[in-house]
Amino acid sequence: MEFQAIHDRLKAQGAPGLLGFDEPRPANKKEKDPGRAGMPFVTVDHAHLVEFLRMCRDDDKLAFDILVDLTASDPSADSEELWILIQLLSLKHKHRLAIKAPLPKAAATVASATAIYRAAQWHERECAEMYGITFVGNPDPRHILLPDDWEGYPLRKDYEFPREYHGISCE
Amino acid sequence: MGLLEEAFEENVLTTKVDWLINWARLNSIWPMTFGLACCAIEMMAVGAAHHDLDRFGAGAFRASPRQADLMIVAGTVNFKMGERVKRLYDQMPHPKYVIAMGACATGGGPYYKYGYTVMKGVDRIIPVDVYIAGCPPRPEALLEGLMKLQDKIKRTPVIRRPARTA
Repeated sequence: MEFQAIHDRLKAQGAPGLLGFDEPRPANKKEKDPGRAGMPFVTVDHAHLVEFLRMCRDDDKLAFDILVDLTASDPSADSEELWILIQLLSLKHKHRLAIKAPLPKAAATVASATAIYRAAQWHERECAEMYGITFVGNPDPRHILLPDDWEGYPLRKDYEFPREYHGISCE
Repeated sequence: MGLLEEAFEENVLTTKVDWLINWARLNSIWPMTFGLACCAIEMMAVGAAHHDLDRFGAGAFRASPRQADLMIVAGTVNFKMGERVKRLYDQMPHPKYVIAMGACATGGGPYYKYGYTVMKGVDRIIPVDVYIAGCPPRPEALLEGLMKLQDKIKRTPVIRRPARTA
């Protein structure tokens, strides 16, 4: 299915937490719109993300059986939001879907997607240490890349670089 | 040769113990088998047939630090890995030597400014004998570095202690 058909199917099935969608568009100078490159995506309420993913996986017409990627992004230091970004792939129907779930920085907690896609485990651990997002229900919430005692969330825009680590200067 | 001259058969050589020990050491510098990043690929190329590190007696990559004389730090050292590198260095028997191969091991390299977990040079945790420039260095550069290390070993007094300088 094409993106629009996937979105319509999700809407017709009453997908939980579906907020809307966004498609790439050319720049429009009259309206001072810089335009957008990239791929179309659907936006989803983070509180219903897990139910949304369950529908994506279990619906016959969608059948997204592979989690290609789960990551996050901090769009700007001024922004109040983080984004959780998910890419799904259906081998059965040979189509893809990009999902964006905005998440408030002040309460960056979301339910773990590991119950739906076990591949999400390591991705969530990386998001947790890099962006400070808590994934409730992840079976193994240890750090995956950084040392266990690392302080701060390096990929946040307001991250301050460490001055030393275990007595080794970082200057 | 003084008193010893002509005291032995013709096929006996006399030399200094220092020279002999250093000669043995510098022609059998066994490196430790480990690589941290892309520099290790160049290091493997040096070990392979074309560049042939064995010509200098340094091709016997040992799988244990306890059998190794040389640690070639080939790649980016981050803090998590750095503590392991330090431990491996501590496990090596004396005399031991370290080559910092490439920009990362020498001073952080391209990660100097924004690499929050990258150590800005492996010499912050272990003493380095030879630094090799490059990102990554050509195999010839690593050979040059090895020969610099051999020069250094050649100049090292073993029996005679070096005169202490204040």
